[in-house]
Amino acid sequence: MSEAQFKVSTPASVGVELELQLVRAHDWDLAHAAGDLLSRLEKRKVAGAVKPEITQSMIELNTGVHARWAELRDELQATRTAVVEEAGVLNLRVCGGGSHPFHDWSDRRIFPTERFKQVLERYGYLAKQFTVFGQHVHIGCASGDDAIHLAHMLTRYVPHFIALSAASPYYQDEDTTFQSSRLTAVSAFPLAGHIPFVKDWAEFLEYFERMKSYGIVESMKDFYWDIRPKPEYGTVEIRVFDTPLSVERAALLTAYAQALAAHHLHDRSRQPARAIYLVNSHNRFEACRYGLRGTLVDPFTGGKKKIGDDILETMAAVRLRAAGLVSTEALDALAADVRSGATDADWLRSRMGPKGSLADVVRAAAERWAGRL
Amino acid sequence: MQELFWFLPEWPPLLGDLVVFGALLVAGLLGGELVNRWLGLPRITGYVLSGVAFGPHALGLVQAPMLDDTRVVVDLALGLIMFELGSRLDAEWLSRNRWLFLAALAESLGAFFAIYGGLLWFGYPPLLAGCAAAVGTATSPAVVSLVAYELRASGQITERMLLFTAVNCAVAFVALMLLLPLVHLEHRADWRSALLHPMYLLFGAALLGFFACQLMLVIARWLGKREDRQFVLLMAFIVLVVGIARSVEVTVVVALLTLGVLARNLDTDHVLLPLRFGYAGQALFVILFVITGASLDFGLLAPASAVAAAFIVLRFLGKAAAILAFGGISGLRPGGAGLLSLSLLPMSGLAVIMVWDTAVLYPSFGMELAAVVLSAVTILELFGPLATQIALKLAGEASAESTKPPA
Repeated sequence: MSEAQFKVSTPASVGVELELQLVRAHDWDLAHAAGDLLSRLEKRKVAGAVKPEITQSMIELNTGVHARWAELRDELQATRTAVVEEAGVLNLRVCGGGSHPFHDWSDRRIFPTERFKQVLERYGYLAKQFTVFGQHVHIGCASGDDAIHLAHMLTRYVPHFIALSAASPYYQDEDTTFQSSRLTAVSAFPLAGHIPFVKDWAEFLEYFERMKSYGIVESMKDFYWDIRPKPEYGTVEIRVFDTPLSVERAALLTAYAQALAAHHLHDRSRQPARAIYLVNSHNRFEACRYGLRGTLVDPFTGGKKKIGDDILETMAAVRLRAAGLVSTEALDALAADVRSGATDADWLRSRMGPKGSLADVVRAAAERWAGRL
Repeated sequence: MQELFWFLPEWPPLLGDLVVFGALLVAGLLGGELVNRWLGLPRITGYVLSGVAFGPHALGLVQAPMLDDTRVVVDLALGLIMFELGSRLDAEWLSRNRWLFLAALAESLGAFFAIYGGLLWFGYPPLLAGCAAAVGTATSPAVVSLVAYELRASGQITERMLLFTAVNCAVAFVALMLLLPLVHLEHRADWRSALLHPMYLLFGAALLGFFACQLMLVIARWLGKREDRQFVLLMAFIVLVVGIARSVEVTVVVALLTLGVLARNLDTDHVLLPLRFGYAGQALFVILFVITGASLDFGLLAPASAVAAAFIVLRFLGKAAAILAFGGISGLRPGGAGLLSLSLLPMSGLAVIMVWDTAVLYPSFGMELAAVVLSAVTILELFGPLATQIALKLAGEASAESTKPPA
């Protein structure tokens, strides 16, 4: 099948990829052990897939495709348990979070596959600095045109996704003062950013072919956009989430993205507008820096709002849609956290406290991932 | 004229120990860099060779009495390493992976009985064979730690190498202490002191480590999580425990191993930060290996070369058989058993001081033991670091940029 062909999938079905950190139990620095852990997991039956990522310090969990968030959560919980158990045999710990607080990026080792070697060759130190950990949510679409529509409409909510998932306050031994420092590392790539303002799939393909003819990209994988169409899965992929500190939260975030997507696939009263991209980088920065307390500009009304408030309003607006997807419970849980202002980034900071160390932060994150905290 | 220059020292000036230490450090450093840059060998091999060159069997710049005076430095350096190694012995890991502890224990016993059997076959008396086998059970903690550090190695083989070394050192000491009463009795000591002495050496050291650890944790909690302060605290306690162990004549390395193990496992509130000794430790370790090199006696090698070769081969086979048997079940990757066995080959300063300590009690028995063990140590002193380096590189756990200085 040609890469340009959009594989049809069930609208608003969801699947998740989670990039996870592997850390050593004796000093809580990143481990070099993806190979050993993956070969143990091969022998064990887990739902979905566990795959290598670019460095030996990370692995990626992939779920199957689900219509309901609760099924996705159950699958993630089962996989989590298996991964934590196998890691324990090797004295490794697994944790979520968008960044490792204190690892030395020059110490990272690239997982030896051809593609990863090429990435290292091409991007040099950026590739190693790219040791950050994200959650990618795939949302099924019935056509390429739907995918383009959804990519534009969901960009409006990028600050929501960032603020709700933010879990990378520490980077390279420092409190970055950001709620999510991870996206800054992603921004350094030349093909990061967002999809161009194309009106449909045909126009998107035109753009893609032109970029290909320039030799700037070889495949769709080369676009590191915040939200991108993934024609071979028949999905739109949201890539701005930090990996949260627990699988339960990963499932909640997915439920929210799913409800938004279902809403915009169904209700076309609002159409993509250039204004979405006009305010995007401002809104994105506010979300990375201040999280729920940041301020965003609504591209459709031009009004300014606290990101947290905007999330609560949006949740109320898509509540009926969520009811159809049996996910109001998930939205309520997220809304409660928004009201109390609880985020994973703040949780990590609370673990540091006045008397803690960054090693304590990683240990707590590992406990939380294992479901013990 | 002489009145005028009364302030000048006599010629040649009397060079104190400090000068010799400094010179050894420079020589070791240069030797290490030379073999590393020209031959790609581990720096440790260069330190040892520098020691050999300075030692009584070559240039003779360092003589045997000087070697006795350096014992305090050897104790300190080994103490530091035993502490670090002990702190890798994570009870939680062993409880999650019980086969791992059995594997480590089997590895120790495999080496012990292989050597013991071999020496009996060569016609050595059982007691001597047993003591030699106990010494041979231990892998050199200094060599494995330093090679891993130099290569910035990290991964399963490295972790297990360090864990197994901690366990086989502990087993070696316990085995030696179990045999010591027999040595005492053979030399017609009172049976009560024959029993009490090893218990004092072992339990005295363990108690010292225990109390020191409790006190250290209290102080660390009060100091808070500041790396600079905790570093000084750890150094202080290591020096203190080495000093006390020497003063009250309990086994120094056991005290420090205990301190390390307990610091890892009693620190349930995690008041201690994970620390590395970095550059400060490096300087101490250079001296350690230069001194070990200087104390190698090549005179022992020629008459005992067949025994030494058998000792090394059987020791390796004993370790390898046990690791092969328990490797897969304890979660070792396929092919990892051979690499792990190879990495555990080194013998070094620890073996030397185990022999020395026996020789202090019973010089003639100590001489016999030295003849058997130290010839093997001499060979492994030169090839052991290389074996560990090769194993870790083949395991893919050495950093590609190992030329960069470790952090």
